[in-house]
Amino acid sequence: MTVPEVRQHPEHLEWVGKSIPRVEDPKFLRGRGNYIDDYEVPNMLEVAVARSTMAHAKILSIDTSAAEAVPGVVAIVTSENVTDHVNPMPDFGPSPDKHTWYCLAVDKVRYMGEGVAVVAATSRAIAEDAAELIEVEYEPLEPLTDMLAALTDDAPLIHEALESNVPFHRKFAFGDVDGDFAAADVIVRDTLWWGRSGGQPLETVGAVADYDSATGMMTIHVNSMSFTHFLFLLANTLRVPSNKLDLQPHPSGGSFGAKFFEVKTATIAAMMARVTGRPVKFMQDRLDNIANGDHHGSDRYYEVELAAKSDGTLLSTRYKVVDNYGAYIQFGVGQHGNSLAQAVGPYRMSSIGYDLTAVLTNKCQQGAYRGFGSEVGNWILERMVDLMAAELDMDPFEIRRMNFIQPDQFPYFIPTGNVYDSGDYEAVLKKTMELSDYKGWRKRQAEMRAEGRHIGIGVCTCQERSVFSATEFWFWFDEPVAAPVTSAPESVTLKVDAMGAVTATLYSNASWGNSPETMVAQFAAEELGVKPEDVSVVYAGSNQGMPATGPGGSRFTIMVGGAVEGAAQSIRAKAAKIAAHLLEANEDDLVWEDGGFAVRGSPDQRKELAEIALAAHMFKHSLPEEIETGLEASHVQDHPYTTMPNPERTNLGVFYPFVGHASHVVVVEVDPETGRVEFLDYTAVHDCGTVVNPRSVGGQVIGGTVQGLGSTLFEEFLYDEDGVLRTPSFAEYLIPSALDSPTLRVGHNETPSPYTPYGVKGGGEAGRMMAPSAICAAIDDALGIRIRRLPATPERIVEMVDAKD
Amino acid sequence: MSTHDITVTINGAATSASVESRRSLADFLRHDVGLVGTHIGCEQGACGACTVLIGGRSVRSCIMFAVQADGAEIQTVESLAPGAEMHPLQEAFRRHQGLQCGFCTPGMLLRSLELINDNPNLTAEEAREGISSNMCRCTGYQYIVDAVLDAAAEMRAEEG
Amino acid sequence: MKSPPFEYHRAGSATEAAALLGELGFDARILAGGQSLIPLMNLRLAAPGFLVDITHAPDLAGIGANGAGLHVGAAARQRTVELHAETLAAAPVLADAISNAGQVPVRHQGTVVGSIAHADPSAEMPAAFKAQGGTVTAQGAGGTREISSEDFFEGYFTTALEEGELVTGVTVDAWPSGTGHGFLEFSVTKESWPIALAAVMVHVDAGTIDRASVVLGGVAEVPLRRPEAEAILVGSAPGAEVFAGAAEAAAAGIEPLSDSFGSGAYRKKLARVLTRRALTTAAERAGGAT
Repeated sequence: MTVPEVRQHPEHLEWVGKSIPRVEDPKFLRGRGNYIDDYEVPNMLEVAVARSTMAHAKILSIDTSAAEAVPGVVAIVTSENVTDHVNPMPDFGPSPDKHTWYCLAVDKVRYMGEGVAVVAATSRAIAEDAAELIEVEYEPLEPLTDMLAALTDDAPLIHEALESNVPFHRKFAFGDVDGDFAAADVIVRDTLWWGRSGGQPLETVGAVADYDSATGMMTIHVNSMSFTHFLFLLANTLRVPSNKLDLQPHPSGGSFGAKFFEVKTATIAAMMARVTGRPVKFMQDRLDNIANGDHHGSDRYYEVELAAKSDGTLLSTRYKVVDNYGAYIQFGVGQHGNSLAQAVGPYRMSSIGYDLTAVLTNKCQQGAYRGFGSEVGNWILERMVDLMAAELDMDPFEIRRMNFIQPDQFPYFIPTGNVYDSGDYEAVLKKTMELSDYKGWRKRQAEMRAEGRHIGIGVCTCQERSVFSATEFWFWFDEPVAAPVTSAPESVTLKVDAMGAVTATLYSNASWGNSPETMVAQFAAEELGVKPEDVSVVYAGSNQGMPATGPGGSRFTIMVGGAVEGAAQSIRAKAAKIAAHLLEANEDDLVWEDGGFAVRGSPDQRKELAEIALAAHMFKHSLPEEIETGLEASHVQDHPYTTMPNPERTNLGVFYPFVGHASHVVVVEVDPETGRVEFLDYTAVHDCGTVVNPRSVGGQVIGGTVQGLGSTLFEEFLYDEDGVLRTPSFAEYLIPSALDSPTLRVGHNETPSPYTPYGVKGGGEAGRMMAPSAICAAIDDALGIRIRRLPATPERIVEMVDAKD
Repeated sequence: MSTHDITVTINGAATSASVESRRSLADFLRHDVGLVGTHIGCEQGACGACTVLIGGRSVRSCIMFAVQADGAEIQTVESLAPGAEMHPLQEAFRRHQGLQCGFCTPGMLLRSLELINDNPNLTAEEAREGISSNMCRCTGYQYIVDAVLDAAAEMRAEEG
Repeated sequence: MKSPPFEYHRAGSATEAAALLGELGFDARILAGGQSLIPLMNLRLAAPGFLVDITHAPDLAGIGANGAGLHVGAAARQRTVELHAETLAAAPVLADAISNAGQVPVRHQGTVVGSIAHADPSAEMPAAFKAQGGTVTAQGAGGTREISSEDFFEGYFTTALEEGELVTGVTVDAWPSGTGHGFLEFSVTKESWPIALAAVMVHVDAGTIDRASVVLGGVAEVPLRRPEAEAILVGSAPGAEVFAGAAEAAAAGIEPLSDSFGSGAYRKKLARVLTRRALTTAAERAGGAT
């Protein structure tokens, strides 16, 4: 693919840009969300999973006799026979045959909480009663949770077949890294740690599976797997033909990535449905979700060097990263592609060195969490820029501003090969400073400090990449690559019925707390001249579906916008033919305006879309021969801007092209004796191109910021040296409450993308990608410390203060 | 294990049922009565998704056994809008986009209703502190606070 | 996470509850609000065979003060006690403790006596009860007896109750006018479980502290009285230096355990900081601030 055409965006928009109430909300407000646990069918069984109590152990034997004797128990599958029923789980990782995973542990357990048996019974309570009675005899193996220890020669092996604990290591150089470092006046170095947090949506993952042995059809109702384009992989796991698997989507009670491609829950339900011949529900409980949900976030150790000229001009960054993936590595090292998509941040830097080591340990495996690894990259880069500012005694705003890529430099190719489509970073920073009253706060800070208070102000300026391309799955490896996939589509069908009413059909599992129905309704309304509230939005099951990838990597609004645009064009083209016939006019003389076609210059001569639709549906033989009955069109929107990596992998091509930007300014007060951080002020200005629904974007920014706050200050899946998970519930895994969360001033700057419909860029992950950097800078400023490890818990803050004194 | 006959009033209607002693009130409402608007997030009383009102007071229905509620008057989210019109609180949540995934919403609505009933003139700080009993993983709470304040104003106006 | 099966019994009075406990034996437990017990059952960390629900016993629901103190019945809900005018007057440290404990919906259902009898050494109400001082009334098949708050807490989730006994109520001893209280806790998030807490009372007479109580939570296997700190306070004039010294003494010699919320060393530091600050507040309230 070459560079896409630069679009001319319409000047007047009727619906895009308005904070209309969300289409989704009435059902949620009435408690009729149709969530997966609301779904029940007759004769349905429920399952519970017996989880490993050991972090690392050989399974010697499993005794299910007591469990089987519990009245109501119908079937039990264990580690010993799970491979009779299913194939390994889908795995996008490197050499998956060397770290195979199944829906239950096989031969040995690799983390505390891994499933060793699953019980299907007439109720969940009975299934749990029985699961408790399953006796597993283990031979303990040495537990391993420390990623640096995992690299040593005498470390226990998590997967013996791999012969080490390193499934991936590669050193990349993009641009002349050595040359840039040689030319530097100043080099700052640091070691930084990013702790493991996760999405932890309030609703866990669930599935209801029903296998029809007569037709061979496996139907699974799910609240996970937005990534429907890859469902044939699940069919393979379940040993059903790909055309005999049907996924029926349900709205998800939050995901934040944690349900992105969560396939294990559906696999377990489907396996038990086939074993029992009855419908089976598996609804994870909170412990399943925390301990065994396959979606912990990044868990990284960095050694970083940043090179600059003495005037503050940034030149290059060298990263040495170790990432603790846990027991398996389902998405490979894709989380680092996200970092590399925006590795230079908003700054002009001409080279990047990236030495990446993925490590396996006795923790639950990583999956996706809002940012998918790019939030870590942002934090590291901003930590280093702050360090450089301190080293050069520069104002943290000034060092950022002077290094910004300038508006006339777009499209701007960064050293990794990715492109930034557009931006105006200085405008965002200016707006942030005004909205936050930065100067006023600096003055107040001085006054409050004089009273002995510990006030800090922090700033960050970060990128948000959006719309991933499939090349990100494999550009890590040398060619030939097993599956050099390049498709990441999204589809929509628009139907205008005989009454002129519009229905939009979505083909991915798209409802995750984002606003897919509102987005589609606003786009369809814009394109077809109807009202958003009159657009009916439905979801198709995967078996009747079209190619779709769903939400993830802030892609959905852009991709579905393109799909709606394409489908609407087809509908209008057909409608024009019909209208021309009805108006006895030449098609070229018609203009589309206000939801109908009129003859140019004769506005009275017009046909509304509803009239045209009635004719299209009901009056076949009054219309020209070539016009088929109906008014419906589908469109597959493929990735708008992808280019291939080069064979040497010194350039990864364009893979995340629509790049938003944001600046946060945070004011905190910290209690140095307890480590408590209080937010006095919080300003976030985001530029995600054209904003479709400002209130919705604002909500995403605020919610994402609070999640970022959680990852920064207290959220962590904590494993001790014995591999014991110390945070197995919401009593220990701490989620921010309303009292922990600041009130934000939210601003938008709009730099439309030249390449997307209406100029929209992704914005759903942005808050979490910015907050850690700004909050850490503010705490540092308050106390004269430097945060190098997240989460910066109150205790760690106190330790840093004590170490300073 | 024991089973018990209980009678409760749910959203104004008397309901009798036989429940196992271990049946949580949340599971009873969802699976026995079919009122699935009461959600389950953690089953340990931490998140508040299961909040219902008993005698007008918010409680966590996941850490209460149904048998304990015998004789109680229970209000769930389904009571707020029995007909076509939504409750002013629901309208305010919609106007302000005080929800995203919708999973915490029923509990938030009921807790908010209690807060407004207790103090129709509540401040932003009081609203924020009040809803801090319930977790929301999507919104960062700010638009919920906005919605509660606006709903309180609406409800004050309606009261005249 | 569903509770294991159990047999449910409902007691209509304290006597009936005691009789049921006696009859059902060691595997029976009292169910009051259930806000500590039911989460443990759902997590299958507790699996009592029998529960005796006392919340329908009218004789256990009372709250009332007389000159000697505040009486709280075993079925009285935390939120009711917290908002009760007599609580604020007679046992303000308990009111503070309750308002810091859990969330309002949990306090609607939970009981004060249930929290005290649960004897979690990190919890608010046991520490406040011990700080102000009082009596636990226990009833068993053999009748009732009174246990001092000093003797009630014996270890983690362990009390001086004997098998077959239930707590029917507690009485919190009144302190004379001129008393101030301080209750402070620290938790990692505002709504999470406290890492450490301090519950203190001081009585100031003619500019001198003549009676003091300092109890720490979250630092030992019971709510921990700190006599060394009290000794520093009594006989001294309230002031920053005295409070700092008392706080130092309160934290000296404790050896808190570590968990996911914080290390023992951090808890110890928090104990000192919270004690100092709580004492400062208490002295201000006593009217003896300098």
